[in-house]
Amino acid sequence: MTALVEGLLRGVGVGSGYALLALGFVIIYKATRVISFAQPALMLAGVVLVSHLAEPLGFWLALPLAAPLTALLALGIERGAVRPMVGRPAFVVAIITLGVDVAVRVVVNAFIGLDVRSVHDPWGLSTVQFGPLRVEQRHIAAFVAATLLVAALFAFFRRSRMGLAMRAAADDQEAALAQGVSVGAVFALSWALAGALAAVGGTFAAAGGSFDGTLWLTALVALPVIILGGLDSLPGAVVGGLAVGVAQELAATYQNHAPWLGGNVSVITPYVLMLLVLLVRPYGLFGTREVERV
Amino acid sequence: MKRLASVSAVVLLAVALGGCRGGETESDESGIKTDVGVTSEPCPEAVDPNKGCIYLGIISDLTEGPFRALAVPITDAQKAFWKRVNQNGGIGDYEVDVTKYIRDNKYNPQVQNQVYQEIKGSVLALAQTLGSPTTAAILPDMKTSNVIAAPAAWTSAYAFEDVILESGANYCIESMNALDYAKEAYNPKKVMAVHLAGDFGDDAAAGAKIASEALGFEFSAVQTDTGADKQAGAIQAILTQKPDVVILTTGPADAAAIVGTAASRGFTGRFIGTSPTWNPALLRSPAGPALTALYEQSGPWGPWGTDTPGHKAMREALAGTTPSDGATSGWVWSYPVKAALEKAVAAGDLTRAGVAAAAKSLTSVDYEGMLPQGAGNYAAGPNEGAVRSTLISKVDPAAPTGVSVVKDLFEGPTAKAYTLDKPCYEKL
Amino acid sequence: MTAATRAPRGRPLLFTSYAREMSLFPTTTRRVAFGALLAVTAVLPFVLADPELQLLATCCVAAIGAIGLGLVTGYAGQVSLGHAFFLGVGAYTASVVSGDPDGRTLGLGVTNILVWLPAAGIVAGLAGVLVAPLATRLRGLYLAIVTLGLVFIGQHVFNEWSAVTGGVGVGRPAPTLELFGYPLATTGPGYTRDQKLFWLMAALLVVFALAARNLARSRVGRAFTAIRDRDIAAGVIGVDLPRYKTIAFAVSSFYAGCAGALLFTVTGFVDPSSFSLLLSVQYIAMVLIGGAGTISGAIAGAFFITLLPRIIRELQHVLPFISTDANEVPNVLQVESILYGVLIIVFLIFEPRGLFGLWVRARNYWKSWPFSY
Repeated sequence: MTALVEGLLRGVGVGSGYALLALGFVIIYKATRVISFAQPALMLAGVVLVSHLAEPLGFWLALPLAAPLTALLALGIERGAVRPMVGRPAFVVAIITLGVDVAVRVVVNAFIGLDVRSVHDPWGLSTVQFGPLRVEQRHIAAFVAATLLVAALFAFFRRSRMGLAMRAAADDQEAALAQGVSVGAVFALSWALAGALAAVGGTFAAAGGSFDGTLWLTALVALPVIILGGLDSLPGAVVGGLAVGVAQELAATYQNHAPWLGGNVSVITPYVLMLLVLLVRPYGLFGTREVERV
Repeated sequence: MKRLASVSAVVLLAVALGGCRGGETESDESGIKTDVGVTSEPCPEAVDPNKGCIYLGIISDLTEGPFRALAVPITDAQKAFWKRVNQNGGIGDYEVDVTKYIRDNKYNPQVQNQVYQEIKGSVLALAQTLGSPTTAAILPDMKTSNVIAAPAAWTSAYAFEDVILESGANYCIESMNALDYAKEAYNPKKVMAVHLAGDFGDDAAAGAKIASEALGFEFSAVQTDTGADKQAGAIQAILTQKPDVVILTTGPADAAAIVGTAASRGFTGRFIGTSPTWNPALLRSPAGPALTALYEQSGPWGPWGTDTPGHKAMREALAGTTPSDGATSGWVWSYPVKAALEKAVAAGDLTRAGVAAAAKSLTSVDYEGMLPQGAGNYAAGPNEGAVRSTLISKVDPAAPTGVSVVKDLFEGPTAKAYTLDKPCYEKL
Repeated sequence: MTAATRAPRGRPLLFTSYAREMSLFPTTTRRVAFGALLAVTAVLPFVLADPELQLLATCCVAAIGAIGLGLVTGYAGQVSLGHAFFLGVGAYTASVVSGDPDGRTLGLGVTNILVWLPAAGIVAGLAGVLVAPLATRLRGLYLAIVTLGLVFIGQHVFNEWSAVTGGVGVGRPAPTLELFGYPLATTGPGYTRDQKLFWLMAALLVVFALAARNLARSRVGRAFTAIRDRDIAAGVIGVDLPRYKTIAFAVSSFYAGCAGALLFTVTGFVDPSSFSLLLSVQYIAMVLIGGAGTISGAIAGAFFITLLPRIIRELQHVLPFISTDANEVPNVLQVESILYGVLIIVFLIFEPRGLFGLWVRARNYWKSWPFSY
């Protein structure tokens, strides 16, 4: 029983990181109708920035500094590679972001160097005891951070002018343009937000251990999350992230009962879950059904 | 008519261009027979421009695989070793170059095969081939082509291969000695071997199994993959089965993940890792305290700071670089190749076949004190020639490479009694 | 061939019969070009050295895989990032069928290429048919991500199923190239291994390419292009969507399976870590950079991408600040990796029809020269 609850809590912590990454994807999709495969590269860039900045400045200064810097990188990518592609089919733009991802990752890998690096987070692998349950501090921190950020995002979208503009542009770009919304600014802001979220999500994914260039594979788990939750649904991203995190950790806890599945079933659990959900709901749990007119 | 003209034009062109293909040439050079990889022109960075050049290839895990943090110091150490050889007069009328044909294998047997085919036509032998499974992929070709190599690996299969000039005790023997040490230090009841797949991990796990049977421990083996995020299965197995001692045969990042996470979830058993499992940078990772508390390291020879003539020469040659036991290993591995080349030159036969024959006939190699006397006896066959001494180190943040010796080179009773009749991993 | 069905001189694109227009080589130029290509392929092994021939043989096999992906992504418009999975299925089927029964991994010992090559294609094709029902329900980006998931699941299966694959970092020997016991690619008295390998792979490429071209000009091919353009409209005019999408996946997986089986016979060894997302991206790059929607585009893209590492290595001699040492920045490996990404971006932005589009532009320029249009 303890193992189950501990697994659940671990899953919530890990899932919070995934939720942050997935939110970035969804924000870009809602604004531009494009899946940006560049998120893993942005995540890696953000984590490497935190890792380099945390050495002189400490973790708590490095993270708020790295997130805007990653947002700037995302802005640069949007202006340089994505803006010229306005009007092209979504698939083509997605492949372009894939190209960007490959290129940026090579550059970032050069900064990682040979050794594994660490984000110098203050929690490490230390745990907190709640009665019979042992919970890792970094998971609690991830959950708290994710909650705060999600709340801030929802407040932004509901209350501020820019948030309203983004929602309008996500709904109908032409009408928003007609109303005086600067759709270009919306694009730029959505990429910047995604970059910042990727940096924070990635930092929590890398906390408690050392990371190297292969961390980008963790960001790919955000793809099943957004498919699960629905490509254009922000609550879906959060719910999907938590669901995938919990599923992954429970699979890790109980995989010894079925050794024939292989040693690391938890790695592919997100994808299997995604396939199962898609069989039932082709547009994800909360996604809007696409209406195609011929 | 037009068709006839065009066909004959094509044929003539083909015949004319056919000469472009070229072939392999044999050359005799001051009475020494050579075939591949030896030239009479000096090496690119020759110390003495009058000497010819022997080209040796290096295939190592330089960019992506799990051992790149070790592979780069290994390669640098080898470059320094052969530079020292050249500065001391080379080998006969030749100097040795290991810088021109360096390739990255990404710890992937396929890539290894590919890059080996690329450099095969230009090198006499391989100064380094990193990884047991990767070397296994090119072994058949090496045997048919008489290409000898110094492996950056210690699997027991090498004792049975004439073209591989292994140094030091193999993983199988290392695990046996580690368990002999564990018996006197911790007296465990349950032993688990967490290992990567292939000649590397399976070999150590097999040694642990053989030793457990001999010493009366309960044994289980868990296979895992490389990747710090792929250790969930291994960690869970450790936490559910609760062994007293875990023999760890993985990459450094994986080891950090396993030890750190297991410790944070309450595991208090001991870990003993085989030599490639350690990387001093792990001390600075969040798993550092757990490693210092629970981890010990077995190894085939003394770490960087050991006081032997060979170690001292290495430290001088690599002065100014970060100390690393990868460098120590790279240095030690080069001695047998040097011995084989010297013997081949003395016999006047620097062809591939000649060097292979020289290597096979070596009865001892001068390791300048880094390995005990009698090591390097390739002529004696796998069982008699196998080195059976290893040492145990503990994690020591103050030491140059993060480990300091707890028990110096010793031969455990299990290893002494064991007959090496076939590669250990076949007994897993 | 009567005079009435031949195009008048100087008007090669004037077709007077439907059969002529839809044939495999509609114009004389095409026939002559194909003949010249065959002649060059036959002669090439006498001109080039062995390492280059090995590289070109790999290019030919990659082209087979690229044609497969081109059929499903370029012709039928179904985005598939899961090509690596089908390559892997094909490679391991072939390895198991032709593997040594006494080896460390599973093997059936049937080394005849006429058995394991079709077997690889058929098993991979069946895998494609299994995936198709899910794929037909999805479109666009959802389909892309689901096929991505397929790659990861496939990788997991390959990594864990050590009896078949040997396990990560260990691998297993690739299929043996033999025809009824007669070895197809070993160095003999007349020709070396690499020469024979190149001829074999080039011959197979010609066969597969002609088959694909034939498929593209048939009813099935027309259905594919209808689906790509507007699948709902295609359904409205009577194209059976699930059936043709399934055919697209099945054929593409068949090609991928055959390519996978042949791909590793060149180096002789196959490791499960090869079938990663990177391999899928490589094939997507081949199709996109070569020109989606054409067979020759896919072949051109395959050759280009496979030769790219070699080109960069040669480039290093011209641009000496790129080092060969993996520790220094920039080095050839980094340049190679970045170049993939940059090339994809550049081609998609500036020449969306890829290398084929470049060829069309060059051809049109010279067609109307010295006039500009």
